[in-house]
Amino acid sequence: MADSYLDKAHRWGKISSLTSVAVLLSVPLAICLYYDVWPAASSVFSGLLKIIPLFWTTGVIEVLSFSPLLGVGGTYLSFVTGNITNLKLPCALNAMQNAKVKSNTPESEVIITISVATSAITTTVIIAVGVLLFSPILPRLREGVFAPAFQQTIPALFGALGAGYLAKHWRVSILPNLFGIVFLIFVPTLEAGTLLFLTVIVSLIGAQLIYKRGQKKDKAA
Amino acid sequence: MDFKESTFMYLLGCAVVAFIVLQSVFFLVKAWKQGKKLGIPASTLKSTVISSALFTIAPAFAILATVITLAGSLGLVLPWIRLSVIGNITYEATAAQAALDGFGVSGGLNFPVQDKAVFAAVAWVMSVGSVLPLILLPLFMRKIQNKIGSSVKKNAEWADLMSAAAFIGLIAAFISRSVSGAGKPEIIGDGAGVMSVSVLLSSMIFMVIISKICTKPKMTWLEPFAMPLSMFLALGVAVLLSQTLPANIVKFEWRG
Repeated sequence: MADSYLDKAHRWGKISSLTSVAVLLSVPLAICLYYDVWPAASSVFSGLLKIIPLFWTTGVIEVLSFSPLLGVGGTYLSFVTGNITNLKLPCALNAMQNAKVKSNTPESEVIITISVATSAITTTVIIAVGVLLFSPILPRLREGVFAPAFQQTIPALFGALGAGYLAKHWRVSILPNLFGIVFLIFVPTLEAGTLLFLTVIVSLIGAQLIYKRGQKKDKAA
Repeated sequence: MDFKESTFMYLLGCAVVAFIVLQSVFFLVKAWKQGKKLGIPASTLKSTVISSALFTIAPAFAILATVITLAGSLGLVLPWIRLSVIGNITYEATAAQAALDGFGVSGGLNFPVQDKAVFAAVAWVMSVGSVLPLILLPLFMRKIQNKIGSSVKKNAEWADLMSAAAFIGLIAAFISRSVSGAGKPEIIGDGAGVMSVSVLLSSMIFMVIISKICTKPKMTWLEPFAMPLSMFLALGVAVLLSQTLPANIVKFEWRG
């Protein structure tokens, strides 16, 4: 019996995911081979240990959360190209609304895949053109009057991100920020990569307590 | 020529980008043919392409802005590659910082990476750190779609809150460093001080203001730009302060 479209989409998706893993890992490998530099494994693992518990847990949650929304083709392609919450997912939902198709139907599978693929191509082209146009200017920007700006990229970036989350989840945001600031008064040289273990745990505990309290209030009402 | 932006790196970037585009074109063509088999009108399929491309333009420029932000430290090409494949600015900035911490590089992403081995390590950490979903999907995708998806839908509120809390915790680490973290005494700009707090607060204030503006009916188009615009305006504040305030105030870091 001929494979259904979804069976084929699963097969293509598996191939695309696994080849994407190979391409992804070939980038740092190519850098090491071309420049003949091999960073100490212990230093690389030290960096990985700081992020893997959080990133891989979040990765599992994202796979569980997004795949029912994005269909088969849309899911495989979205995870390869990234920027799911800020781009692919809203783009897919917008496309479904415009096409007036219901979710979890054969039609929505097609519309979402076309939408995500188009979005991926558009993003890739815009970023590529932007990078090529910007490349002659960047070295000049790094020196001179703009140098102080490049030294403050972390506060600028995480200030904007933090404000976004603070607006939506202000109760959850207070505790980990206060904890981090106070903790560093006593251990000032602790790097962000290590501190984030603690602030994430504190944040999750705080969020859980807020959630439980909210449920109790709902039951009482 | 900076090794981070050598011809080799640009060729690597172009190869990765070509791979992404080819893959996307493959899925698009297959889905289009299936759409025609299902009887979806060609006009609907075309308008899906057009509306999705237009929808993407503003967020794509916002992503480009974040590539430029990381370029100060990592060069243009590695952030370009990373934000084109599985990319997400929060992940990439955190992974890069974690890798630099592992090498004891003070100041982290605030300064250009000069050492090729460190640069390679950053590339490894950024790549391996984000690879798990691409391994999970081929193994578990069918089961997830059938069973687990409905369970997550039931607990969607809790899952959303925990996911947000994880990101908030991650962001809090960097915000805390900007307020009370110490750098190396001999390096200016890597510890908490006048500049880091000024830029942090500016970025937050700009984000709040721009987000408010985005709620106006004719200004919703500004929403994808809120984050990168806030960031660039805050960096502008850094430039302004460095040009207007006395050097001993600008360079003052209360934790060293």
